[in-house]
Amino acid sequence: MTASVEVVADDRTDARFREQVLPELPVLYRVARRLTGANADAEDLVQDTLVKAYRAFDRFDGRYLRAWLLTIMRNHHRNQLRKRRPDLLEDEVAQRLPGRDQDARVDGVDERAFRDDFDPLVRSALVSLSSKHRAVIALVDLDGLTYREAAEVLAVPVGTVMSRLHRARGKVRAQLEGHLVEDVN
Amino acid sequence: MRRRPQLPLPPEPDCHQVGAVLQSYLDGELGPEDAGIVAAHLEHCERCEIESATVSKVISVIRRQRPDLDPEPIARLAGFIDELEREGPDDLE
Repeated sequence: MTASVEVVADDRTDARFREQVLPELPVLYRVARRLTGANADAEDLVQDTLVKAYRAFDRFDGRYLRAWLLTIMRNHHRNQLRKRRPDLLEDEVAQRLPGRDQDARVDGVDERAFRDDFDPLVRSALVSLSSKHRAVIALVDLDGLTYREAAEVLAVPVGTVMSRLHRARGKVRAQLEGHLVEDVN
Repeated sequence: MRRRPQLPLPPEPDCHQVGAVLQSYLDGELGPEDAGIVAAHLEHCERCEIESATVSKVISVIRRQRPDLDPEPIARLAGFIDELEREGPDDLE
């Protein structure tokens, strides 16, 4: 009797987990790709996140599922980085998150982050941004995260996301200004 | 220097107050009441409306560059959830 009750409870958990997490897979995969810069690594990172989320699902309070999943992903990714590069300091780990300047030059992480048929002017404007500014644009504008969700991924306050986004878009705007005027009116 | 957003907005905010929350408004991050106040201001303030249209345009040209997502990894990950349910997390770590 007890065993069958447990099975029913597990089935319910499974059904709720699947039903709620399935729609989040595209966002999780987009963000994982941005964190790792490689499709295969991204898939592994999402799988690890799903396992950890599945284990902890009974303790999830039901609010902000996407932010909760992204926090699990970010923490796991940072732990992996620490294991691989224990010499990195905490803030350097944080800076590695979505595409350091060095990554962009060395292995084209940022190239993969944007479309191949990118409008050259917009591409040039985005690539010229600092890694912090590019990261926030990528998460909010390209991956569709809310300010709160982007803040979870970057481990910074929401206000920092807002100010970085404002500055980043301002820089893009400055580079596109002459080309925008005709379209706006 | 950008002013910090002050929320909730007063019923009739000035252009500086609207400017400070314009980004949040365009990103859909304001609550319905504040969003309504901004929308009403933009209806009658040409200067703010032009600024809003410009920022909106910048956001839209950036968002147009959103990379397409390959459906295959998503399908594999959905299959992984099935496996997780079938096998349990211990066998999949």
